[in-house]
Amino acid sequence: MDVPSAATSAGFLANKSKFHLLGLTLDDCIRVFFGGNAVVSVVVLALITIFLFKEGFGFFGQNEGNLRVYRQAGLEYVDIIRAQQDDHTALTRYLSDLRVRQFKTMVGAGKLSPAAANQALAGFDDFAGRFGDAVGPIRGIVSDLTEAATAIKDKFINVENHKEERRQLLAAGKAAAAAAVVIDNVDFSAELKPLLATLPAYKEANAEFSRQLTAVLADAPVLPAAELQVRMERFKQLVREYLAGFPVVEQKLAAWDYTRPVPWYQAFTSFIFGREWLTASFWQDWYGVIPLFIGTLMVSAVALVLAVPLGVGAAIYVNQIATATEQRFIKPGIEFISAIPSVVLGFFGIAVLGQALRALSQVTWLAWVPGFPFSERLNILTAGCLLALIAVPTIFTLAEDALNNVPRSFKEASFALGASRLQTIIKIIVPASLSGIISAVLLGLGRVVGETMVVLLCAGNRIAIPDFTAGLAVITQPVHTMTGIIAQEMGEVVHGSIHYRALFVVGMVLFFLSLLINYLAQRVVRRYRISIG
Amino acid sequence: MSTELSAGHVFQARVTLAQRWEQACFWLFRGATYLVLLCGAVVFLNIFVKGSRTVFQPTAPFINTAFFTESPESLHVFVWQGKKMEMGDREHRAFVAQHPEAAKIKTEDYVYSAGGIFPCIVGTVLLVVGSMTIALVLGVSAAVYLNEYARDGTFIRFVRLAILNLAGVPSIVFGLFGFGMFVLFFDWNVSLIAGWFTLAFMVLPVIITASEESLKAVPKGFREGSLALGATKWQTIRKNVLPYALPGILTSSILGIARVAGETAPIMFTAAYVVRDKLPWDVDKFSDFFFQGVMALPYHIYVVSSKIPQNEYTERVQYGTAFVFLLIVALIATTSIVLRNHLRNRYKW
Repeated sequence: MDVPSAATSAGFLANKSKFHLLGLTLDDCIRVFFGGNAVVSVVVLALITIFLFKEGFGFFGQNEGNLRVYRQAGLEYVDIIRAQQDDHTALTRYLSDLRVRQFKTMVGAGKLSPAAANQALAGFDDFAGRFGDAVGPIRGIVSDLTEAATAIKDKFINVENHKEERRQLLAAGKAAAAAAVVIDNVDFSAELKPLLATLPAYKEANAEFSRQLTAVLADAPVLPAAELQVRMERFKQLVREYLAGFPVVEQKLAAWDYTRPVPWYQAFTSFIFGREWLTASFWQDWYGVIPLFIGTLMVSAVALVLAVPLGVGAAIYVNQIATATEQRFIKPGIEFISAIPSVVLGFFGIAVLGQALRALSQVTWLAWVPGFPFSERLNILTAGCLLALIAVPTIFTLAEDALNNVPRSFKEASFALGASRLQTIIKIIVPASLSGIISAVLLGLGRVVGETMVVLLCAGNRIAIPDFTAGLAVITQPVHTMTGIIAQEMGEVVHGSIHYRALFVVGMVLFFLSLLINYLAQRVVRRYRISIG
Repeated sequence: MSTELSAGHVFQARVTLAQRWEQACFWLFRGATYLVLLCGAVVFLNIFVKGSRTVFQPTAPFINTAFFTESPESLHVFVWQGKKMEMGDREHRAFVAQHPEAAKIKTEDYVYSAGGIFPCIVGTVLLVVGSMTIALVLGVSAAVYLNEYARDGTFIRFVRLAILNLAGVPSIVFGLFGFGMFVLFFDWNVSLIAGWFTLAFMVLPVIITASEESLKAVPKGFREGSLALGATKWQTIRKNVLPYALPGILTSSILGIARVAGETAPIMFTAAYVVRDKLPWDVDKFSDFFFQGVMALPYHIYVVSSKIPQNEYTERVQYGTAFVFLLIVALIATTSIVLRNHLRNRYKW
């Protein structure tokens, strides 16, 4: 009876408190508080998903509307003819390229002065000129139709704006003002009538165009150089194919129908497979992620090609070969590199590396390198080099960890069997830690894909799919990336516009890409645990 | 054979082809390592050498104080009586007031190229302090829960998975998220507080991982001893675990600070202004302090390196800003590395 009271009077250090909140003791409350904080990361991840979807999901609806107007206002119709015109332009470019080559061989051989060469090429110029001029009537029709279609689109957008205005007035409770807003719906069939009525005129012009091209082609000049004559024959072949395509264009135009519905999935496919990202254009906006995706891919590929050998090599060196003193300064050194802020690296790229690489590319004895010399200071290569510097510390640290985790006995057993150090490293240590190294590379890739400032400053920011026909030289072309486009355009777009939502969808793609990379890295590591045994 | 041996002693092994090959391979690895270090050194040196021209000066007090204490302004370059003049905006205005005929002279103008970067430094400090406070509170508590309270289960595995994935989310996506949630949905506009939360969520995985590692390093006996004496769980954690883990938590979190200070993408749409005349403490009422945008060093570097042309006049502010920024981040990183090495030797259980 006395014992407990003595204990209380002594002031037992851990006297359990009588504090209660909602039936929980103090300890429970603290536990709940800590637990709540642990959940924050889950909540944040969920919120990121929710907000990306909330802002981005409307894009697909708006994009469908965008595509529907494209069809209904006849823009699609005009683009069919425009494609034909563009093909002709491409052929003209082929011809002028041919002329440049021809001129070079004539002057380069030292036989002719430039003036004489031009003289000799007069016949060719006449041919090229006639070929180029033949498109005139078609071009006229396209420009007329462009105006007409733009007018219909403008009218439609105007009506939509009025509708929006009325809706807002109604929402604000101003019924009278809302009723005063005049809305006259666009009658697409009536509006499109004059546009479609040009078909006979087009057919006539097309027949004339075809006739002229055939005539021009008949008296194509013969080029002196044999290899260029091959190209000339190729050109003739291309033109014949082009001419053969005319009836198809006409059929397409005749079959074109503005009432044909835009399938629901096209809003998705035109984003995911769209080859054009064109915004704020007077004609038609396109939101295709492919050029941006390829830009990101190219830059990351270049970065990884540079960073993987360096990062993994350095990890092997530090872990297996280096002395303790070397280790003590190399590790902090590389950690130091990872502390360089990306915006500083981007600035370094603009101020120093871009020019240095361009100067290097113009050194004559390096001309054999594909893509050298190049004139664009900011391109895939510049951005890739800097991103490699960002990826190396990540790859190095994680790969070094993986190498460290290989049990000592593996190494000892290998030495006991008489293997040399190099053999042990290549045949025992690296294979044993291979999945760890692969996951390090994957996480390095995640780092590179998500990097914004370096690519924004140094990748050149040209929204186009790079020209892969150039072979390896493709890495000296400028691109734009997914991260870069968000950073660049987000500040300038109208909230709630289709462009704004498109940027959020790009963010969504990035988000899921990073989750995928992370998932793969974890999977690889999990398998590795088992293999070590 | 005998001549070969005469060079060394009898038992010296001949260098075989395989050994040569091995040495060559080692040199290759060594080359890769030092190449990486060299690249880092080149970046550092370039910015330090060129930036020090802006930051330091040959006369006393040897540091260009104006660069650290003034706001950015436009630079006017013009020829005055055969002499080339460079003046900041205010100076130029005073000069024109003095010499009215100077107003007619055509000047070359470069924005942000004169004055200093004081507001940017202030903004960066505010952003870092605020976001690290939030991140440390959230991150350390989460780590305490994960390490001390949680039992392995589906839920905890889920939490760990979320942390792991959060660490891989690109910073620009955090920026988008902060813009969508704080700036638009909560209607905080471009403000300090929006930037704080965006940055805090971004470093959260770093802090949690670092804190958990430090907590794990505290020996189990410390907890068991305390519990055996009848202390509650919370008393044990507060008196016998956290004090020993705290130095480790803080040093590892310093790397998180470097990351927060260095990121540009998340604050682009949530907290940073290209230019702002008022300093952050110039507010009418206290609550406005949290809802104002600020200038920040990394964003300023982005602006001056992409929005203005490159020449000898603009180069000064570009390199100067980069130098100051890199110096700050490097100092933070060095502190963290040195402290960690020091700590590793201090506690031995």
